[in-house]
Amino acid sequence: MKRLRKVTSVILAGLLAAAMLTSCSGNKTSSTSSTSGGTSSDSGKNQTITFWNVFTGSDGDILREIVSKYNSENKDGVKIEMTIMPNDQFQQKLPAAIATNTAPDMVLFGVEYMASYVKSGSLEDISDFWDTMGVDKSNFYDNVVKQCQVDGKQYGIPMQYNVSYLYWNKDLFKAAGLDPESPPKTLDELASYAVKLTIPSKKQYGLLLPIGVTYPQFLWANGGDVDDPSTNKNLLNSDANLKTLEWMRDLAVNKKVTPKGITGSEADTMFQNGQAAMYMSGPWQINGLRTQGINFGVTSVPKGSAGAYSPAGGCAFEIPAGTSAEKKAAAYKFMKYWLSDEILKTWSKKNGFPVWSKSLEQQDDIKNDAVLSAITEATKIGRSYNIGYSLASQIDNDAIIPMFDSIINGSATPQHALKQASDKLDTILSSAS
Amino acid sequence: MVKKKKANIGTQRSAYLFILPSAIILAVFVFVPLIASFIISLLNIDVFMRNVSFAGLANFKKLITDTRAFNDTFNTIYFTVLEVPLQIITALIISTFVANNTRLNQIFRTIFYLPFICSLTAIGIVFSMLLDPNMGWLPYLLNMVGLGGIAFLKDAYLAMPTLIVISVWKNFGYTMTLLTAAIIDVPGYLYEAAEIDGAGYWKKFMKITVPGIWPTICFCIVTNIIASLQTFDLPYIMTKGGPDFHTETIVQYIYDRGFRTAPYSLGYASAISVYLFLIIAIITFIFRKFILNRREEANAW
Repeated sequence: MKRLRKVTSVILAGLLAAAMLTSCSGNKTSSTSSTSGGTSSDSGKNQTITFWNVFTGSDGDILREIVSKYNSENKDGVKIEMTIMPNDQFQQKLPAAIATNTAPDMVLFGVEYMASYVKSGSLEDISDFWDTMGVDKSNFYDNVVKQCQVDGKQYGIPMQYNVSYLYWNKDLFKAAGLDPESPPKTLDELASYAVKLTIPSKKQYGLLLPIGVTYPQFLWANGGDVDDPSTNKNLLNSDANLKTLEWMRDLAVNKKVTPKGITGSEADTMFQNGQAAMYMSGPWQINGLRTQGINFGVTSVPKGSAGAYSPAGGCAFEIPAGTSAEKKAAAYKFMKYWLSDEILKTWSKKNGFPVWSKSLEQQDDIKNDAVLSAITEATKIGRSYNIGYSLASQIDNDAIIPMFDSIINGSATPQHALKQASDKLDTILSSAS
Repeated sequence: MVKKKKANIGTQRSAYLFILPSAIILAVFVFVPLIASFIISLLNIDVFMRNVSFAGLANFKKLITDTRAFNDTFNTIYFTVLEVPLQIITALIISTFVANNTRLNQIFRTIFYLPFICSLTAIGIVFSMLLDPNMGWLPYLLNMVGLGGIAFLKDAYLAMPTLIVISVWKNFGYTMTLLTAAIIDVPGYLYEAAEIDGAGYWKKFMKITVPGIWPTICFCIVTNIIASLQTFDLPYIMTKGGPDFHTETIVQYIYDRGFRTAPYSLGYASAISVYLFLIIAIITFIFRKFILNRREEANAW
């Protein structure tokens, strides 16, 4: 018996040690493994590059298809290992990864985050992309290319461009006695339609207003603004903004057109399930709405007394600092592939993202696509919300998002929320100079 | 005369070798980061670790005027002050019922211990779905009895109490196990003597059980206070600190300043850690004095 116990304990100890070692083994493989079979490259060198991005939505499925197609068909000898994660996880992992030299070779994220990475020297200057790869910069919309520049240098290659749009559920409009083909055009119409379309007994909501996001389009529509990046000036504490916040609070708290405290992804799900009549979001809803069979329409964000503006955004490919020259060259090859008419057309048609390539917009089937023409029209009112401003994410996280949250949740009066946000904005702006 | 055998050097050396792995792990994961965080709090350094400069006490000066840090301190203390007593009392009461070593009691002890070993992330996700005002099961049931519209985790005043209840549910199993072991150690003849003198359940509990296991209770209180003051995962997963920072804790603020919000200032985050360290140290110190006094009282009987 004593022998058996001894043997058992030795085996157990061995198993424990083995388990500990396997769980501790590094999971970062930085390999330049050659691709199997399939691809033949002239240079005789096969490169595998790691690629992180934030496309967790239904558009991510299309991205996956494009990347796997590239992996199996490309003649550049490039293989892409893609990892997709939610945006807030990404923005927390990437700085730490860059600092510890475990960053991926290529990344793809929203242009609004680029400035703070550039400020800390974490991205490679890729201004030589256009000449090195022979891609004509002038073929693309000027503002889209400029969006990916910081201090005049190209740090990102544009991947997509979008603004925020207003989606509406045509079936719910019809059921409420509204014309399904005419969405609200002004903020007042938006408010009255939202109230008509909110039916508590059916758990149906008129206009989804998630927390954790910003609504500059409402501020701009009434003539207000958040800040002026070129002069570091605080423009938040204005009468126009106060009016806007009171309007928002009335809709959210008094008229209850939105469920309380929902996140952006919960709002996506609710709208795609037909539980809400209207929702403002980017083009990434389109694929999901089509899959769910929602009878939807998309139009530009409604206008206020000062006009209609929509926060412009987009995503760009970037190269983290410290990536080797070979990996950078391989990444360039994929970026060139992306900018081809064929891929941009797939992306636009399948996802409803606006077209920003001049050669592509000439094509007939682009001109004849109903959703794409609505989107392209609605994209014309794009306006930059702190893009290229290194304080942008700090301003949003510390001042503006909490302000909108407290308005929608009803936890602060508009005066108080505005004053608090403005004070915080002053602190942030003063730390910059 | 008993011959005292002097331990030879060989045994001593092999003893040190045995504790070496643990010592290395402790050093790398506990002592070095502890000292490092004190040093980092005096620096201007961000997560990219470029442009490091000496800041002196600038981070602490900034902390003194930080309203969000005060809000989080209040939330953390609010959480601790309610969670720890609730958990200890729940565990204590349940321990008295499962203290005897019957088969049934052993089964119950296992059941009560189960929440403690469950993954906190899984608990967080499951409960936030259960309590979701739009699709949760509990609000649905409450709606049927007419108590509709309670948004547990999205309501500014209900969110923290909800988190406290879930935290108690998760943690009381561990405390209960410790207290059960202590109760079993209380000599049985004390209870018999008390029964002869005509003592009821309450008297037996208050005069024999509680003083008998008092050191264990104090240990549980202190360790739970230290853990609760550092709570992060449960509030972060269930409410992300919302709504409107009503459930944000100090550790979440540290994480936010250091890793989530530009400029990712590790120096400032470390300064907040030092601040939390001081709070916990002071509270633990006060408590130890408290225990010491009680112990002397007990010995003076």
